[in-house]
Amino acid sequence: MDDDDYWNTSETKAKAFSFDDDVLSPQEILAIGQKPYSGSGEDGILNSNISNIKQALVPISSLVSSKILDLLVLAQSGKDLKETKSEPEETVAITLKRLVLGRSCSLQVHRSLKSKTELLDGAVAIGDGNAILTVVLFLIQTLNKKLVYELLSSRPLALSHYIGNLQSEGKISELTDLLTMLARSPDSAIYQFQHTVKNQGSNVDGLLRKTNNLLANHFNQPGVDAHQAKMVADYIKLLEWQSLAKKNELNNKSALECLAYCCKLHWSEGAGNMMSPLTVCQRQQISPLQYEWVVLNVQANLNKWDIVESLFTKKDWLGRTTLSSHIPVESLLARLSELRAGGRLLATAVNTVTNTEERLRLAHKYKIHSVVIETFAKQKDRAALTNYKMTLNPQSEEYIYAENTLRESVRMS
Amino acid sequence: MDQPLQSKLSSLCLISQHKLETILSLCGDKADLIIDPSLIKPLERICGVTWLRQHGIEKIYKMDPQLGQTVNTTKIYFISACKHKYKCVLDQISSQISQNPSLADLKCFNIIIVPKVLHTYDSILESRGLYGVVKLHSFSWELMSLDDRLLSLELPFLFKQLYVEQNHSLLSSVSLSLWSLFHVTGQPKCIISLGKLSSSVLDILEIYNETYSRDFVSKDTDEIDTVLLIDRNQDYASSLLTPATYSGLLNEIFNITCGHLDLNVKETKYKKGKMNFTTIPEDNPKKITMNLDSSIDSLYGEIKHRHFSEVLSVLSSKAKLLKNEDIKALGIQEIKHFVSTKLQQVALFKQNLVNHVLASETIISEMNNKFENVTYTENEMMNNRNKKSNFNFVDENFGTDIQIYNSLRLMCLLSLTQGLSYDEYNNLVNKYLLAFGYKFLYVFQNLINAGLLIQPVSLKLSLNISNLSGLSDRLPKWQTGFQNQAAKLKQLPSQGDTKSSPSYVFNGSYVPLVASICNILFTSESLSEALTKLSSTLELKLSGSLLENMKDGIQTLNEKLSNLKLNSELEYGCMDAKSLLKKLKTDSKLSNAFSFKTKSVLVFVIGGVTYAEIAACDVIQSANGKGKYSLSVHPLR
Repeated sequence: MDDDDYWNTSETKAKAFSFDDDVLSPQEILAIGQKPYSGSGEDGILNSNISNIKQALVPISSLVSSKILDLLVLAQSGKDLKETKSEPEETVAITLKRLVLGRSCSLQVHRSLKSKTELLDGAVAIGDGNAILTVVLFLIQTLNKKLVYELLSSRPLALSHYIGNLQSEGKISELTDLLTMLARSPDSAIYQFQHTVKNQGSNVDGLLRKTNNLLANHFNQPGVDAHQAKMVADYIKLLEWQSLAKKNELNNKSALECLAYCCKLHWSEGAGNMMSPLTVCQRQQISPLQYEWVVLNVQANLNKWDIVESLFTKKDWLGRTTLSSHIPVESLLARLSELRAGGRLLATAVNTVTNTEERLRLAHKYKIHSVVIETFAKQKDRAALTNYKMTLNPQSEEYIYAENTLRESVRMS
Repeated sequence: MDQPLQSKLSSLCLISQHKLETILSLCGDKADLIIDPSLIKPLERICGVTWLRQHGIEKIYKMDPQLGQTVNTTKIYFISACKHKYKCVLDQISSQISQNPSLADLKCFNIIIVPKVLHTYDSILESRGLYGVVKLHSFSWELMSLDDRLLSLELPFLFKQLYVEQNHSLLSSVSLSLWSLFHVTGQPKCIISLGKLSSSVLDILEIYNETYSRDFVSKDTDEIDTVLLIDRNQDYASSLLTPATYSGLLNEIFNITCGHLDLNVKETKYKKGKMNFTTIPEDNPKKITMNLDSSIDSLYGEIKHRHFSEVLSVLSSKAKLLKNEDIKALGIQEIKHFVSTKLQQVALFKQNLVNHVLASETIISEMNNKFENVTYTENEMMNNRNKKSNFNFVDENFGTDIQIYNSLRLMCLLSLTQGLSYDEYNNLVNKYLLAFGYKFLYVFQNLINAGLLIQPVSLKLSLNISNLSGLSDRLPKWQTGFQNQAAKLKQLPSQGDTKSSPSYVFNGSYVPLVASICNILFTSESLSEALTKLSSTLELKLSGSLLENMKDGIQTLNEKLSNLKLNSELEYGCMDAKSLLKKLKTDSKLSNAFSFKTKSVLVFVIGGVTYAEIAACDVIQSANGKGKYSLSVHPLR
């Protein structure tokens, strides 16, 4: 076909490039006359000035060889020589396989949003976290954040990998942005809390400043659990106390550890005093059960049994000693016997059990001989008492007590 | 080639050794090995110090952030795939280079990472300007044979990563270890998977198969014909309940790493988790370690799975036997013979006996008062009885003798079986934080993330309309669901049949899920029968050589991915059991493949198996006279 004719048919013109030039050649005017001219700029009009002033051209093959020509095309494309050869296309599946197998691979070939999305969905479907995170980070690099966040919000597994990565990189403000955008501020609050306590160590003043900040800005957000916020507020109260106490060994210790410290060294200080155990107790709202447990363990380990006794026993209006404790009696007995409490205290404790059988069982278990003997005597069970006496060490205090009880019961009956 | 399976499995360490040797040969001679202390025990199972010296290691150091200058120029750091540790190593390398810039050109820094180098590690290296200066090597060691029929990958941090952080970066390492294993044992006929991670592991395994194994004819095996691959979160109850077996209780009280028990009777793991009210510093006793391997310590093999109440009587009968074996009555020649052949053995036996007695005594003294009440309450929880008094028991435990792990376990178990109200939940949280510090507030979020705890919704919040959509997910499904499923799989034994039941491992409260599944596999006439029974309650997927014939019709990964819908299942390396069972009805060739009777099962728990589960599987195995192997990422509790 003649070159000129080819370029000048109007069909070709409509499909071909439109040069923005308003000078029309005579041929073109003729052509327009033959076909109704639409007039809209969409119909591209090829300027054929070139063909007008054309000189005779030499065949391209006389300029460069076909190989060189290919090379020229290649050079303008910026592509590699090998790529254009029958190299298999870097499909999503091939990339994902390479990622999973830990081979080196470049994700840069995936430029369209479609193939990026496919890459992400494929990685999530296979379930290999290493691949998932790599793809997510690639998306972060190559897409704007809004698009990435949109993709992540409907893909929880990919999201959790990204969150984990932000956390471990310490990119807390980015993490907060992300979670706020996803309407997950409560999660953000707790992540920040975790980050703070892990990074501040035992630096009370630093912790105090940061947690105060967190409480004011993040734990008061709608949706944050009220109890969680209260716990953070209680934490601040304790840190304030520690900051005032200025004792290094108490820095960032738990409330009960601080209580134990005060019980040990400041037991006698009154309620108004800062180091008094009662102050710590009220400040942190420590339950009576936990308070008693700490006092019991601390004072017993210091061998201050008088304090333990005064804590757990009181005299009733008949002058008898009774036990009052928030610790259930069985646990109290177990602990007292582990701490090697005296027989009298154990007996007082076990005597609060009103059920006779239960009392006998516990008295047996913790070897509270006097109570066993008294209970048998009350039941007037001579046989059981005699048997029990045989199990005791002869000449021991309890042996003699058992013998006396047996003798007395004879006299009484 | 045809060695017994057990010896093949315990020789897997040779493959690990070979892998390590290849890495070391790339690192150069006269090197310093700087090792993460937690990797020492596992490395000892692969090679010894002499072996390391033969392969170019001159000096060995423990990894420490404060580690100073080491002797040799070439340095090989050996750490697990933990980003924090990795960055710590890079910090050290950077500071060495800043002191001596010429080091950068020597290519003398190597980091070996177990089990693999993650893609992000490369970018971190690049961003720190160390690319080309530091070489990274992946070392994925093989499963380690810790004991008779017990394999472990020894990656203890994996549970937290996979379930708490939902970071599945190392999942491919699980696939890779199975892929290696099947090269040694042969392809199992059938792989059953239960749980999301397990099916992902099978998908990734298929990628390895497709990429590397095309030219290898995979041989079938009769030794392990069935593999059960299960996610830890499919049966949390088994890791929360207090075990009643000897090995289970050992793990409650003592630290066990890589099959070695640290017999520290003064400062036990259990005691350390409690509040300390005494200030007297304990003198450091001589360190005794026990090797929990029945091929070395036959006595351990005899008692490990026993109910703890029987252990002391076994030990005392062994002691009596020793006494009778007195050598007084022997002549000179006999004594000579005895000394040269048996004495060492007897001495070793005596030492083991003493250690087991010591361990048992410690268990008794620490658990004595609690064991009975705890197991009683756990039993009530499992059967959904007396919720109020169960809560009171847990509440009292939190208020008094609270233990940093065990108390949380009780709370989680109650939450999963009977549920906790908003106030009950917060009451426990408050007590826990008072005892151990408010800083642990995030721990509860972690437990919720892992699915170990269900967060109750406060009444105030649930009235908020915007929250209603999420409410249905948050409502505790387990409350009734737990007992329902457990009853269907016969996991809750009725009273009286505890003697022969595997539930003895939890004092008669519960049969672990893996034991229940294995029992159905072994007692069914064919695989298809077993699957029919199981898939009515469990979402199973299948893979293995019995599906090989279907492979022709199976799509390539490429096609699979192009047909993928958002958040749908891939079904690449495994197929849904229910739809397969439907196909069986029409496909005679396929149903033929499913007609075999299971002879041996290998159980692989992603996230770790418990000693109680191993014991329970042992009962199933001996009751059916079948072979069975337990495998895990790491023994958990």
